[in-house]
Amino acid sequence: MKIAFLGLGIMGRPMALNLIKGGHAVTVWARRAESMQPLIEAGAKAAASPADAASGQELVISMVADAPDVAEVMRGVAAGAQPGLVAVDMSTIATAAARRIGEDLAAAGVDFLDAPVSGGEVGAIAGTLSIMAGGSEAAFARARPAFECMGKNVVHVGASGAGQVTKAANQIVTGMGVLAVAEAYAFAAKNGVDCAKVREALLGGFAYSKILENHGQRMLDRNFKPGFKSWMHEKDLNIVMQTAHELGLCLPGSAATAQMFNAMVGSGLGEEDSIAVLKLLERLSGQA
Amino acid sequence: MKVGFIGLGVMGRPMALHLQRAGHELFVWARRQASTEGLPATVCATPAELGRACEVVFTVITSSTDVETVTLGADGLIEGMAPGSVLIDCSTIAPESARRIAARLGEKGIDMLDAPVSGGAQGAIDATLAIMAGGEAAVLERVRPLLDCLGKRIVHVGPNGAGQVAKACNQMIMVAAIEAAAEAMRLAAASGVDCAKVRQALAGGSAASRVLDVMGERMVSRDFSAGIEARLHHKDFGLVLEAARRSGVPMPLTAVVGQQLNALMAQGWGRDDTASLLRVLEAQ
Repeated sequence: MKIAFLGLGIMGRPMALNLIKGGHAVTVWARRAESMQPLIEAGAKAAASPADAASGQELVISMVADAPDVAEVMRGVAAGAQPGLVAVDMSTIATAAARRIGEDLAAAGVDFLDAPVSGGEVGAIAGTLSIMAGGSEAAFARARPAFECMGKNVVHVGASGAGQVTKAANQIVTGMGVLAVAEAYAFAAKNGVDCAKVREALLGGFAYSKILENHGQRMLDRNFKPGFKSWMHEKDLNIVMQTAHELGLCLPGSAATAQMFNAMVGSGLGEEDSIAVLKLLERLSGQA
Repeated sequence: MKVGFIGLGVMGRPMALHLQRAGHELFVWARRQASTEGLPATVCATPAELGRACEVVFTVITSSTDVETVTLGADGLIEGMAPGSVLIDCSTIAPESARRIAARLGEKGIDMLDAPVSGGAQGAIDATLAIMAGGEAAVLERVRPLLDCLGKRIVHVGPNGAGQVAKACNQMIMVAAIEAAAEAMRLAAASGVDCAKVRQALAGGSAASRVLDVMGERMVSRDFSAGIEARLHHKDFGLVLEAARRSGVPMPLTAVVGQQLNALMAQGWGRDDTASLLRVLEAQ
């Protein structure tokens, strides 16, 4: 398939590489030209703009930071697109913003999917991301072969916006999950118990989770290199809290968690992995 | 002095009347004509027309967007107000909105104060509002005689936006205190103890507060008709938590209180008093 990939950051680069490995003809565009170099070396074509990248493609995929970036990139796509193009945004943005972008693209004859991912850099490199898609059945069927090069658990959740709703739910679970593991470690350490042994014991029971397994190990190694930067997790939790405010929805656990991530960004941990919430807990209880 | 007033709700209407009674000539504009009925004032067709007629203009409006539309939008105040005239915005809005409006008006030589108030409808009627002003001190001094008609405690907090920051702090403390009073009343009732007696006992000690006096009484008498509509506190908490986020400052208590307000809204009590936080606890 002829695919354009827009946005080559920590997630986008390995995702685009997996499309090339899957035998697709990939054209790339990124705001910083040097980001395109590794993809060009792997066989991708470089485009001068989103509009240029979209021209003549069957599928366009974007993976950028936030809603205004997606909207801007997709305006370019609409300008360069032929009717019948399917555009997929795999960034994490607010549901309302995704729906609006979908409507704008529909006016230009482009079918849109919101298809955010979970699994982090590790999942992006291994091609084992979870992909949660919202949009029409037909567009999902068209994009599916590309999704299968990048992810393992590919689910068409529902209509436009449903992918972003699912991702927000995912961020609630992962945000609180990381905080729960960090609090359990802080608790064990303050009580003079070996966190590694605690993790090992918990992995066999009902507290088992992928987060305890993966993030829990990285906390033990004190490897705070991102994976998933905490400022991005903070941004996603803010989307959750704003939506809860608009809907009149009581989410006390998410609210407390969002404040911890807020404090991480404010105290200079924003560029570190989400697991740096452990450092914040240690500071708060004088364990640092 | 020729004074304009936009926003003639439960707060704005008594405030406008105080200015008129103090001998000022009143000009008003309202989106709904009905709001201006019975006021001893000249009714203007647009905010711009009102701005042209006045030396000082007050606004008391609910949302940041509405304040920006009335001031900077088409036929907005900015198109009518003369250089040297003053806009006093008594609405509760985001500090960035206040700064943005002040900057745009400043380009035309129009002075602006963000001057949100605390004290509720009763404070507006009694002219005992607390007024927290952001802007240039000299501008505040020029309009202080007008503010003296509306409130008792008028504090210059700092430059534009500072008034709104102070108001955000006010809302955080006040609503958290309402939640604390509600939880105390709930605990007393659940323990089979008379809430009225508890409130009476606490009023003499270290837990005494205005909120326990006023909102505590409403909880005891189960009078949830609005002094302050809870939906406005809910709106303000959106602003407060957004400001916390922009500053990277953790506010764990405010965040949880905000969720109780979300639950209150979901129960359909947004137009009742914020003392309804007690009913949220009872619903669980």
